[in-house]
This record gives sequence, C-alpha cells and structure tokens, in this order.
Amino acid sequence: MKPRLHPFTALTAAASAAVVTTAAAYWPLSVAMALAAVFLAVRRGVAGRVLPAAAVILTPLCLSLLVLHGLFFPEGQTVLARWGPARVTAEGLGFALELGTRTTACVLVFLLFSFAVSVPDLVSALAGRGIPPQFGFVLASTLTLLPAVAVRLDRIRQAQETRGMVVRRGLLSRLGALRLQMVPLVLALIDDAGSRAQALDARGFGSPGPRTSYREVADPPGQRRFRTAALLFATAAVAGRIVASWPAGVPS
Amino acid sequence: MTAITRTALQIRIEAFTFHGEGTPVLSSASVSVTPGSLTAVLGGSGSGKSTLGKLMAGWLRAGHAGAFRGSLELDGTLLEFRGAPDDPRINPAEWSRRVAFVPQDPAAMLSSVRATVAEELAFGLENRATPRDDMLRAVGRTAARIGLSDLLDRDPATLSGGELRRLAVGCAVIAEPDILILDEPLASLDAAGAAQVEDLVRSLRGTGTGVVLLSQAADRLAGEATHWTVLDGGTVTAAGTPAQLSGSAELERAGVIGVRGPGILGPPVSGPAVSGPGVLGPGVTAGARGPGPVPVAAPGPGPAALELHGVGFGYGQDPRRPGTATQARVLRDVDFAVQRGEIIAVTGPNGAGKSTLLRHFNGLLRPSAGDVRVCGRSIAGVPVGTVAASIGLLFQHPRDQLFERTVLREAAFGLRQLFGKAEAEGKARAALAAVGLSGTGEVHPAELSASQQRLLALATVLAREPAVLALDEPTVGLDRHGLEALQAAVVRAAARGAAVVMVTHDLAYARMNAHRVLELTDGRLSEI
Repeated sequence: MKPRLHPFTALTAAASAAVVTTAAAYWPLSVAMALAAVFLAVRRGVAGRVLPAAAVILTPLCLSLLVLHGLFFPEGQTVLARWGPARVTAEGLGFALELGTRTTACVLVFLLFSFAVSVPDLVSALAGRGIPPQFGFVLASTLTLLPAVAVRLDRIRQAQETRGMVVRRGLLSRLGALRLQMVPLVLALIDDAGSRAQALDARGFGSPGPRTSYREVADPPGQRRFRTAALLFATAAVAGRIVASWPAGVPS
Repeated sequence: MTAITRTALQIRIEAFTFHGEGTPVLSSASVSVTPGSLTAVLGGSGSGKSTLGKLMAGWLRAGHAGAFRGSLELDGTLLEFRGAPDDPRINPAEWSRRVAFVPQDPAAMLSSVRATVAEELAFGLENRATPRDDMLRAVGRTAARIGLSDLLDRDPATLSGGELRRLAVGCAVIAEPDILILDEPLASLDAAGAAQVEDLVRSLRGTGTGVVLLSQAADRLAGEATHWTVLDGGTVTAAGTPAQLSGSAELERAGVIGVRGPGILGPPVSGPAVSGPGVLGPGVTAGARGPGPVPVAAPGPGPAALELHGVGFGYGQDPRRPGTATQARVLRDVDFAVQRGEIIAVTGPNGAGKSTLLRHFNGLLRPSAGDVRVCGRSIAGVPVGTVAASIGLLFQHPRDQLFERTVLREAAFGLRQLFGKAEAEGKARAALAAVGLSGTGEVHPAELSASQQRLLALATVLAREPAVLALDEPTVGLDRHGLEALQAAVVRAAARGAAVVMVTHDLAYARMNAHRVLELTDGRLSEI
C-alpha cells in the first residue's frame, strides 16, 4: 500500500505549486509543472479522469487565449501575418503561450488534487480543525456528486432504452437522449435528497454542538514540516515576484 | 427487569394530514409498545404504515410535515398535539435516541459520505460527540450484533441487499434506543437474509428493546409478534393477538399477504394463474410443477421466444472503485430457451446473478461468451432500444424504471414508435387498467405507494405487448391486491403467446405460478 498523504499536505502542495508557477511566470517552468502533474496523475491511476476533465476546461480556454492575444495584441511589434485589423505578432503568441501554460499547470495541479485526494480523509481532517461538519458534508457531496449523477443517469438511460429509446453512437443522438434524461435526473436527485434529509436529522446531523471523529487521519511530523516549507517557499516566490517587478510596475 | 409491562411508547392519532392535502392519511389509530415486545402493524400498500412509523419515530414532525391531532407518550411523558402552532416540538435527533426507525429503503438510512461500514455505523455517534474510544467499542459491539464484524472496512455501497438492511438496522440501534421501528424489514431478502434479520429482532427484544414491525405480510416474523394491529385506509380496523386475528376478515380486506409470504397464497386468492387448463392454452398444466417439460401454448414449431446459448459473463473491476477485486464469473455457460406462452421462474439466493441474467435478455448487458437470440434472431450488436420491441424488462427497483412526470406519460413512453400516435394512449390506458391504476393517470409516479409504483412499472412493460416479459422480483412490495393484479397480467400475457421469465427469491411463489422453476447457483441454471 502506498504511504498516504495527509489531505492538507496534498492541498498545500497543490496550492504552493500553483502559486509558485504563477509567480515565476516562466513558461518552461509551467510546462514542467504541467508535465509533473500528468506524470503523478498517471502514477496515481487517475489520469483517465484528470485528463478528460482538463481537456474540457483547457481546450476552449487555450483557444480563446490564442485568438485574443495571438491575433490582437496591441503591444506586438514583430508582425508575422496580417488580415485586416488582425495581426499575428510574435509577442502576442508569446503572451498566449505564457498565459496558456501557466493556466494549464494550475488547472492540472488542482484537478490532480481533487481526483487523488481521499474525500473521507479530507472531511475528517476538516472536522478535526473545527470546520463545521455541514461544510465537510457539502464538500464531500460535491466531490461525490459527479459519480452519483453518472450512476443515476445510467439508470435512467437503461430504463428509457428498455422502453424503446435507441441511443446511437453519433453526438446528436447522444445529445437528444441526454435532453430526455435531464428532467428525470434532477427530480430523482431532489427525491433522494429529501428522503436522506430525514435520516440525517434523525442521526443528529443537524444538531448544534461539538462532534467527534471516528476516522483518524495520520499527520506525521515530516508532512507538517513539508507543509510549512512549501508555504514559506510559495510566500517567498510571491515576495520575489513583487520585488522583481516593482520598478517595472511604476509608470514612467 | 421491572418495566416489562410498562408502556414505553404510545401514539394516539385522531388525524394526521399532510400539508397541502385535504383528507387525513391517518385517523382513529393508536399503537402502544412495551419493552421487549414485538408489535406488528399489518396493512396493505398505501394503508399508512410508513407514515405511522415515521410519525412515531419523529421522522415526520407535527407542524413541520403536516397537521397532527393526537398524542405521543414516551416513557411517561405525554405530548399533546392539537394541530396548533404552539404544539410541542420534537427534536428528531433527541427523539431518535429513544425511538429509532429503519425505512423501507435501507440505503436512505445511510449518510452516503462515509467510506466504510464502521464509519457509517459511527456517524450518529460522531454527531453526538461520543468520545472515540466509546465509539470504537460501540461499533465493535453493534457490528457483532448485526453480523457485520467481518465487513467493517467495506464500502457500504458494495454491500448486498441483506447486508445493507442489517447495516441500516445497526445505524439505528447503535445508540441503544428503547424502541425500534422496522418498515418492511424482510422485503427483497432471500431466506438466509431474512433469517438474519429475524435473529437480530429476537436478540434486540431479549435485551429489552420494544420492536414495531410495519409489514404487508403476516409472515413468520409477524407470527412472533405479541400484538397485531391491522391498518386499512389509514385507520385501525382490528387489534389483538395473532391468534385472534389470523384469518380475520379485516386482514383479508386490508390486503395483507398470507401467513408465509406470497408464495403460499391459496388458489382462491391467487388469481387465475392457477385456475386450470384452458387459460394458458391447450395442454398447459397450469401453475404447478408438472413432471417433465410443460407443453406450451404456442402453436407450431416456430423458434423459441428467447434462447441463451452458452452465455458467460463476469463483471470487471469497477473503475469508480479502485481497489475492489474483480468479481468471479456471474454466469457460466448458460443454456436455456423459453417457448411462447411459457412461464418460467428463476430463483436463487441474493447476489446469485439473477438480475444480471435478465439484463442479458435485452442487451443491457452483453455476454462475454455465447449468444442471446430473441424470436430466433441474435441480438448481438442490436441496440437495446430496438430489442425492446420484443423484450419487456421489469426492473428490480421501480424507482429505476420510472422517470416521467405523470403516470399516463410513464405508461405511454415509447409506445408511439410501436403502435403509432392514434393507438399509443389507448394502449397505455389499457395497461394501467390491467394493473388497477385507472384514474391515477395525472398523478406523479413518486406520489404512488410502493406497491402502486411496482404495478405502474409493470404496466409500462405490459403496454408494449412484448414477445418476452422479463420480470425481476415482481412480487416484492406488492400487497395481496397487487399480487392478484400481477398474476392476472402474467396469465393474460402468456395466453396471448408471450413468454414470461420471472426472477424471484420466493421458491413457493415460483412453484405455484410457473410452468418450470430454474435455480441459478454458481452461475449455472438447473431445473429444480
């Protein structure tokens, strides 16, 4: 069994990596960070979920960056091509690359965290720090909502197919089927929530007052030291960035 | 113990009306529970049993859920309700420490955010700030009591039906309540699962817990009760000892199922399924296990309605649950054929793969080996929606089958493609009438009782007039009226030449209502 990271350690590592990448604003570092996130995702066996989710978020984002800064970058001097008011400039492309790689690194790092973290550990760790359990429950429900929705959608699709709905491979057929499944999905989720609410009430979930936790999440001193170091490093990176860009930031 | 005869909980209901409804769902009803007793509240589907149980357990609160006139008395403390704003208020968390409730659907009891059985058991204790050492002891003690000690590290989502039911009971009793209310605790359990729940109830009673059983079957567990209360249309129509009430007209009217489950319904009440030759066509020995294969109603040598040739299947590792082991093969080399007009029952313990087998009939699951043929044609590569023209599948859980806004829309879904616009609505209405749901066309399916929901799901299958009806546990949750409607529908379908395959864990029911009974064990089908 792999040694488990305390969820706060994983969160700190993800947040520090994102902060340092942003502060450094150096595209080779961003690319390295993104590749490291992909490597870790593969090693943790979550690449199959991280990469499609990242593609959904990043593809439109990177395309829009490319169009916005690649074609319309007023500060650009080195014109590579021109169509009417649109100019492709080397500076514009460079800026789009900078911003695109940075965003990609941050998105990948946080997706890796959210898919790799043990949700029960996270909820338990949050409760241990005095965070209201309702917050932990909402967080856990949110992180487990997608699989729950997928299961429910699958059931509705099976019920509809069993009654003659033919779902073919094409995108249009799938979208058409999805449209038919949306209302039942929402109603089913509301129904589930209603019946669970009574049980949660009866089991004391809504009661005010202190709580204890059955699950114990190990937090070895080494991980605590790592978190401190990572936070210090991230702070230093931000400070360094501010200092480095201070004179340039003053309008002349 | 000095409190053996003391009343621990008493509810007296003048009327309870849900908000937004004109007529009370419960009226003129009272139930009292003494420590260590077993009280059975018996009634058909929609009689108000679950509402009564939830009201007793504080799951439905006066003023919050509806208007309640009556009283609740717990251990000498009397709470009077007049349906007024200044009525006493019940704190559900505090109340449930004393009076615990396990709903009909055990999954609804679980928090759904705990990763293991042990953590799910501890959830209620965590919320009451129980010190961790005490929790560890309570979890160990309760797990031993409900027989889940070996499964403490399992994900609750991977438990079988019987294990889930016992976990739900465990979550309810871990706080050691004085009263435990169980809503249909044996529904959809096989014999072994039911025996475990029965043992659990006996052990709880032995330690002084008063148990209330809400059931539509006067089954073996109800037979152990000290007191029966018959609920019909929201009103108590009879109360007394089992000896006084068994065989009474009140039980009969309420739609309560006979003494040992649906299977042993006598011919007078079991509908035309056993009404003799002629109904099913010439040569059919109706309803009983005949010696040798039963002749079928279909004329001529045409292909079987459904054939499975060497079908094998195993579930792979669930990608959403890394770490779970790949399951063993569920089906191995299954060969079987159903003729037109034939009724076949498939039995086997929970988890044997009966539902998996049914899902192969219309292609919801595809065999890893072998072939499935419907009306002589292989369904390999044919979309489920196309196979659906010939196969009607009733799911094990009606909630998985129903998705429309009204009962009529539900029954009519997909019928236009089969029968055209002009006929679709007529077919839907006829199917609803066949299961006794005429007049509910505009009701939302979720508002129907559990029994009616199953009948509606059945109507959606019947309306399509498929060549094969595949019914997964069709009797579960049905009261006697529902069972009669089911049996009539099955016989009518067989009489028009449809093949019927029903999966049931109730061997007695299977023997009484099918031409052949097959058992699925270790992935193989054998005739019994």
